[in-house]
Amino acid sequence: MTPKANGIWVIVLSFLLAFLLAIVPFPDWAMHYRPQWVALVLIYWMIALPYRVGMGTAWVVGAFVDILEGSMLGLNALAYTLIAYLTLNIHHRLRMFSYLQQSALVLVMVGLSLILVHWIKVGTEQSDPVGMLYLLSAVSSAFIWPWLFVVLRQLRRGFDVQ
Amino acid sequence: MFADRQFDYMDRVRFTVAYLTTPVYWVADIPARTSSWMDDVFVSHRDLIEENAELRQQLLFAQRELQLLAGLASENNRLRELQAAAQGIQGEVETAEIINVSNDPGSRRVLINKGVHDGVREGYAVLDAHGLMGQVVEALPFTSWVMLITDSRHGTPVQVNRNGERAIARGQRGQVPGLVLEFVPDTADIQIGDLLVSSGLGQRFPKDYPVAEVTDVVHDPGQAFAIISARPMAQLDRTRLVMLVEPELPETPERLPDTQSDGEPQPVEEVSAGIGSEENPAVSDNEASPDVVEATAGEASDTAVETVNDAAGEQ
Repeated sequence: MTPKANGIWVIVLSFLLAFLLAIVPFPDWAMHYRPQWVALVLIYWMIALPYRVGMGTAWVVGAFVDILEGSMLGLNALAYTLIAYLTLNIHHRLRMFSYLQQSALVLVMVGLSLILVHWIKVGTEQSDPVGMLYLLSAVSSAFIWPWLFVVLRQLRRGFDVQ
Repeated sequence: MFADRQFDYMDRVRFTVAYLTTPVYWVADIPARTSSWMDDVFVSHRDLIEENAELRQQLLFAQRELQLLAGLASENNRLRELQAAAQGIQGEVETAEIINVSNDPGSRRVLINKGVHDGVREGYAVLDAHGLMGQVVEALPFTSWVMLITDSRHGTPVQVNRNGERAIARGQRGQVPGLVLEFVPDTADIQIGDLLVSSGLGQRFPKDYPVAEVTDVVHDPGQAFAIISARPMAQLDRTRLVMLVEPELPETPERLPDTQSDGEPQPVEEVSAGIGSEENPAVSDNEASPDVVEATAGEASDTAVETVNDAAGEQ
């Protein structure tokens, strides 16, 4: 049974923070290392509250990121929906995994979404092919995941988000 | 995505949703604003005096040049009157600040803090103190996306300041923040160190603004065209303050008599007319021409080919 909604504003706030982190200007050399903050926060909430945050949320959040980045409307929405689908499929297992295993799966999922976005962007000539460097973002995402997981879990427990 | 790419109405959706995204950018810009505020507040008396003296000196130099310029301008005007050519442009100028940079390494775009509500429209030229930076590609309510001239989808119509040789400067692909001149014949007189200024063809950018400096010229016998790279004059990755200039659109259709001769189809004739005559780029007259000589992406290469054909014809 679905528990009564509580502390939804924490989820909204965490996403807003992720949007901020996603667009804070980075120096050129560090551009590839920027973790996919929004995707990570999305994955966390889908593991923790799969009945609250699902593919619909993923799509809306993705569309918002599209506007934010000025990219084609629906591009990130599609990518995040893909992540949502994968995460929701395995969220039971993800909860049981160690941080290291979780990180590995985050690497795969974020990597897949990055590849999808890159293919579409290059295919529609909105972006230049820049080699495989863009996948570094998935690596940094996987690296940051355990810390983010702990922080968000504290938040969720502290504010009793359901 | 398909809808956004194919249909215009999605622009309205983007525009509306952008009202929501503006605060996020406003907040993200706080660190930068704070640091510039700190710079303003915590500054020593001596530094201020020094800076003041320096600025005075610069102003003096600028005024001297301005005086020369006034003389040149009036002389230029007289010459133009003699030739019955259109007046040079002095569009409305507005200042804006860069508040964000696109996080996609494969494209070069920045976000500025002026939008439709400040009168900014798509196609406005963006300059900094040193030269041309780019143009507005998407005007949102309070912000606008600017495509820089170094983006590989951006072509800037330029001419060599020294001799008026024309070319299209395209942003370099990949991550090198430079420009390449496309379809320049091997015989063209372009040397290292030449200043490239905007030619005003395409009617997107004001004429005669510095765009880039030629850094490398390679004549490869195996290639059809010379390989020429250039470094943008504008400080694309350092400036925060930029200027916006309204694109010049000719009010009175005007056609020079000597461009009527060849029987090419309309749009092509418009382009080659601007190139073939030495007077002024503002000769194209129908509504379609700004699109034809469009400064962005796809069409630019077509224009460039025409330029080459024309140049070859002249020789």
